[in-house]
Amino acid sequence: MASLPPTSPSNRVRIVVATSVMLTFISYWRAAAIVLNDLASSAFYACGIAEQAVGKSAPWFIVAVMLFSFAVRAVYVESCSMFVRGGVYRVVKEALGGTLAKFSVSALMFDYILTGPISGVSAGQYIVGLINEIIVTADVHGWIPRALHNLYNGTPQLNINLTSVVFALAVTIYYWWENTKGIQESSKKALRVMQITTVMVVILLGWSVITLFKTGYHPVPLPTPENLHFSRESLGFLRHSFPEQSLAKMFGLLGILIAFGHSVLAMSGEESLAQVNRELAHPKLKNLKKAAIIIALYSFIFTGLSALLSVMLIPDAVRVPVYKDNLISGLAMYMWGPLLLRLIFRGFVVVVGFLILSGAVNTAIIGSNGVLNRVSEDGVLADWFRFPHRKYGTSSRIINLVVLLQIITILASRGDVYVLGEAYAFGVIWSFTFNNLAMLVLRFKYKGVRGWKVPPNLTIAGHELPIGLVSVFLVLLATALVNLATKSVATVAGVSFSVVFFVIFTVSEHANRKKYALAKAQMKDHFQLLQSDTVERDTLGIRPGNLLVPVRDYNTLNHLRWVLDHSDTLEQDVVVMTARVSQFGSAAYGLSTEQIFSDYEQTLFTRAVSVAESFGKRISLLVVPAGDTWSAVAQTAHNLESSTVVAGLSGKMTAAEQAFQLGTAWEAIPEPKQQFVLQIVQPDGNVDTFRIGPHTPTMKNEDVVLLHRLWLNVTREPGLENVHHHDILTAALTRFANDYGARDRDEIVKQLKRHTIDAGPLPVRRIADQVPTVQSEPARPDPSNDQDPQSLKE
Amino acid sequence: MGLLIVTVVVRILETMFVVGAIGSAVVLVLSGIEDLKLLLGLEEENRS
Repeated sequence: MASLPPTSPSNRVRIVVATSVMLTFISYWRAAAIVLNDLASSAFYACGIAEQAVGKSAPWFIVAVMLFSFAVRAVYVESCSMFVRGGVYRVVKEALGGTLAKFSVSALMFDYILTGPISGVSAGQYIVGLINEIIVTADVHGWIPRALHNLYNGTPQLNINLTSVVFALAVTIYYWWENTKGIQESSKKALRVMQITTVMVVILLGWSVITLFKTGYHPVPLPTPENLHFSRESLGFLRHSFPEQSLAKMFGLLGILIAFGHSVLAMSGEESLAQVNRELAHPKLKNLKKAAIIIALYSFIFTGLSALLSVMLIPDAVRVPVYKDNLISGLAMYMWGPLLLRLIFRGFVVVVGFLILSGAVNTAIIGSNGVLNRVSEDGVLADWFRFPHRKYGTSSRIINLVVLLQIITILASRGDVYVLGEAYAFGVIWSFTFNNLAMLVLRFKYKGVRGWKVPPNLTIAGHELPIGLVSVFLVLLATALVNLATKSVATVAGVSFSVVFFVIFTVSEHANRKKYALAKAQMKDHFQLLQSDTVERDTLGIRPGNLLVPVRDYNTLNHLRWVLDHSDTLEQDVVVMTARVSQFGSAAYGLSTEQIFSDYEQTLFTRAVSVAESFGKRISLLVVPAGDTWSAVAQTAHNLESSTVVAGLSGKMTAAEQAFQLGTAWEAIPEPKQQFVLQIVQPDGNVDTFRIGPHTPTMKNEDVVLLHRLWLNVTREPGLENVHHHDILTAALTRFANDYGARDRDEIVKQLKRHTIDAGPLPVRRIADQVPTVQSEPARPDPSNDQDPQSLKE
Repeated sequence: MGLLIVTVVVRILETMFVVGAIGSAVVLVLSGIEDLKLLLGLEEENRS
């Protein structure tokens, strides 16, 4: 770390740390869609796993778990409504202490890491199942070549488990690369996937009802101890002590509890509710509750009813032997109607399954990355993991670790969804249990404001008894403990994983302690952190028309040098900002001040201050937490009334693409807003300049000539002698707007496409003459805009 | 002796599960009523 000489308290560099995240907020529909992408994916494998474990009455337990998920959802709503910052580790640490917090994070990591493999392998099972079914159908019609038939000694079939492993590896590696590059997670994409899924669910349920009437159904045995048929694997460690079928009779209720534990997988993904809380639009709590209702109802209908229907419609002879790992495909094949129609619908089911399950693979990587980043910021994981990727700036080392663990898991599972499901359930139930326990303890320890509490709460002699929270906790703890005994693979894998992570966390924490103490002392010597809820000019003490310089990598501060070289800071303030990006949907809680201004930001700003001092100039420093960098820069420039943003050239996009991204973020800012200039400083010192927001376009010479000719002709008309060039433009644009908005829209679009293809893409917003705008006048609002210029100063 | 300990542990787990399940059903009903009020625009603040 670069170091500065010690300074007196009054000379310390002031850093404004904004604590409100600059996010593009989303509606509760979109939030629900994101959670359902994870939660509803369980419907594709949960019932198959449960039936293998407990027998034909499994759907009733799935329904019970989905009803119980309503209560678990209430706990997550309470946890989101607490105004605490700092991430899972910090919140649980506050409630339960460091040791349990480390175990809690380990369980959550186990949950996240297993989400990827089970989703990827399950998607593979659906795809390979369909391919094999198509081959069988083709063979029946004699469409398979005889030679191929002979080669396979019958109908050619893909090895389902092996091919699923290959598929899961391909999807995981694909998302590994996308996350390394830093893909922007989109709520729009999640909503689209859920819309397509909803179409499938409606067809599935509607067609199933018709089938029930046309062909009848097989009754689903009631969930009584007599109807439970545990497999040897499903009794785990207990199989050595008790004969399989006598256990349920010896302990009737225990059998129910074991079966419930084998079905708990159906509510995996519920924890994602906390991940989207930060992004929800105002009023946050109301929208969170609405999203939670949608999620609970949707998953109950989809997961619960499809589980019941699968047993009611698919014959026993094929349900488990053939369709255990792709039960919804099986359901599609046993609908009433022609085979071709059923095959087409099965294809649709597979497409939906692929979309939703591969999305869950991505969510797992994003979630793990987010959790480990927070843990690393808290000093519980070595900083080495958080070092940004040289080109893309992402925490690629954490992503590599997560994906490596997922690949090992996929290979170790050999494509067996049942084994993966059993292990996954360990992470799911223990992360729910720890979260619930933390909420329970915080009821007594945390006296701050809560938006909402899980009902009912009984007050006796001034002491509040959280009956609702205790009840949910009892069910979760009993299930988690029973699962320890009945899921031997999960217990061994989960405990080993948690212990390994616990050791890593403990050793890292010990190693970081000294380093953090030194860094903290240095920070106190040189920096004064000013916490501010929002980004305001007054807080930074700067004037309008300032220069905003976003920085990220302390090795690439050339653009800051360029700004300081070309500006007079006495006339125009320079604000160096860094966006503390936490990826969309990656964090349950807002960041604390120390997390926002972590040791990385400290190093970055130390370097920035050194650069400024080498020029003998003063800079202001700002850190803003954000969902994405572009929104953060656009909103900060807007809030600070900056005239110019000066950035370095990105490693992954061109200057024009950077300008486009910033322009798109600017468009999302509500009116009134002002334009500014973006300058991209290339490594060779050349500067590209763009205007962000509406501005006078660069006109081609032939267009200027055309405009002039038109003006000459028009002014020859009697009574039009005083017409100006801009009047011609106004008339032309007005006619264009009318035509575009009415009957000639298609023709105009065709014409523009032809023009774009002929001329190549236009360098929109590029200022051709490359006029340096540093030291320019503060940008004035365009008088043509319907806005009060005064309002911009307020 | 071993069976006795197992029986006690099992009964404790069963009791936890049953008591918790009854309480969770109450949570389900009460939060369901709140949800219904929210959807109908009749909700009251439950803030501390």
